[in-house]
Amino acid sequence: MVEFERVTKTYPTGVTALREVTLRIDPGEFVFIVGPTGTGKSTLMKMIYREETPTAGRVRVLGRDLTRLPARQVPFLRRQVGVVFQDFRLLPRKTARENVAFALAVTGTPPGEADARAREGLEVVGLTPRADALPGQLSAGEQQRVSIARALVHRPPLLLADEPTGNLDPDTSWEIVQLLSQINLRGTTLVIATHDKTIVDILRKRVVALDGGAVIRDEQRGLYAGGR
Amino acid sequence: MAASGRYFLAEGFRGFTRNGLMSVAAVTITTLTLVALGATLVVAGALGELTSRLEAQPRAVVYLRDGLAPAEVAAARDRLSRLSGVTGLEFVSKDEALARLQRSMGGRVGVRDLLTRNPLPASFVVTADRPGRLRAIAAAAARLPQVETVGYGVQAVERLLAVTRAVRLVGAAAGGILALVALITIASTIRLTVFARRGEIEVMRLVGATAWFIRWPFVVEGAITGAAGACVAVIAVLAAYALVVHGARGALPFLPLGGPEQVALAVSWKLLLWGIVIGVVGSLLAVRRYVRV
Repeated sequence: MVEFERVTKTYPTGVTALREVTLRIDPGEFVFIVGPTGTGKSTLMKMIYREETPTAGRVRVLGRDLTRLPARQVPFLRRQVGVVFQDFRLLPRKTARENVAFALAVTGTPPGEADARAREGLEVVGLTPRADALPGQLSAGEQQRVSIARALVHRPPLLLADEPTGNLDPDTSWEIVQLLSQINLRGTTLVIATHDKTIVDILRKRVVALDGGAVIRDEQRGLYAGGR
Repeated sequence: MAASGRYFLAEGFRGFTRNGLMSVAAVTITTLTLVALGATLVVAGALGELTSRLEAQPRAVVYLRDGLAPAEVAAARDRLSRLSGVTGLEFVSKDEALARLQRSMGGRVGVRDLLTRNPLPASFVVTADRPGRLRAIAAAAARLPQVETVGYGVQAVERLLAVTRAVRLVGAAAGGILALVALITIASTIRLTVFARRGEIEVMRLVGATAWFIRWPFVVEGAITGAAGACVAVIAVLAAYALVVHGARGALPFLPLGGPEQVALAVSWKLLLWGIVIGVVGSLLAVRRYVRV
């Protein structure tokens, strides 16, 4: 599903965000990418939806070699890779339902169908009663649910979450992780970049730890800090 | 894709109205550009019309010296009629010349009242079988002792063509400079829309909207700006033309000026087309620089 082969990324500023990262994620997996802020977690995520391209090495996602993917093909890759962010990135003047439908509308889905699928999406994340609220009227946890519904509306085989609980209190964080976990159980491959130690340690999923842009640990049923 | 088309139009129009004064500035500079273009087209068109009328009448006017005896006039007529290529010869007496001048003034000015004696020469209007002969006929006529000067169409045509070229050159230079300013203004205005919509653009990129889907609303906004500028320019050019024609019909009734309707047909669609081209190119400049995909 995702393959990194000796991927290095050096930004024009001279900062090296990733160093020779080799990584393979299979369909249906649940993977945590962990490490302190500034260790390349976000860069690694961005490589997967081709927001960034490697300086050296190769990235393959869903059978496509992203280092060779023409720019005009990128939108079609992104329809198959859902992305969720710490700051939700919802449009403030659209309701929850409109925010979800927007993702379909701007990729050419007729309005009626987009609306119907947005309703379904909100049902999956348990937000049907709040469908007509604006983001400003929703709690942080509810806003993150809307953004998850939006990320899933194209029914992508792969879902990326970059610090999805970064702006949430512990209880809400746990709810969101539960929701993501259920989505993974239904077959969606899930990659979560986080520095939320509690969640990683409770779930005991595969953990890929980064430090200084390099993979320092990759273990099944891992802990945030490593060791046994 | 009909739904997308409506979305592009709605977003393009929203961007146009959201930018308020900047949109007004962009429309204004587009209008100025198109007024320069429109004025050039109209003036060059009128000059072209005049030129082709002159070319269609291969005539020379042979002005006679004052105080010729009837026999001398008859001799001149005889010599002129035997020049090769001459197909017609019409004598215009001094009185007739004055009467024609009076007619061309439209009767508003009493020419006779202004003059104590008639300053106009008598003349022969010589018609040639084709324009190419006029130069030789004029040269031969000028050598006759009875002849003062010869005027013929080719001279006028050559002068008119030179004036037309100058008008086109000045128009193109002014239009070109204004068009450049218009492009920059439109691009800056659309940049504001790009900035106002950056959140939306970011989301569109992430969920897999294509580059052109993201760009279309801005192109539409540019086209709206250009078309609005064109509409104002068309109104301005036609109003100015109507005023000029109204004035000119009285003062210079011999000028072959078409009515405003004819000019409207000839010029409006060109201005509209150019307005939209300027608007679209301006928006593409903005989009290329500021919408990363």
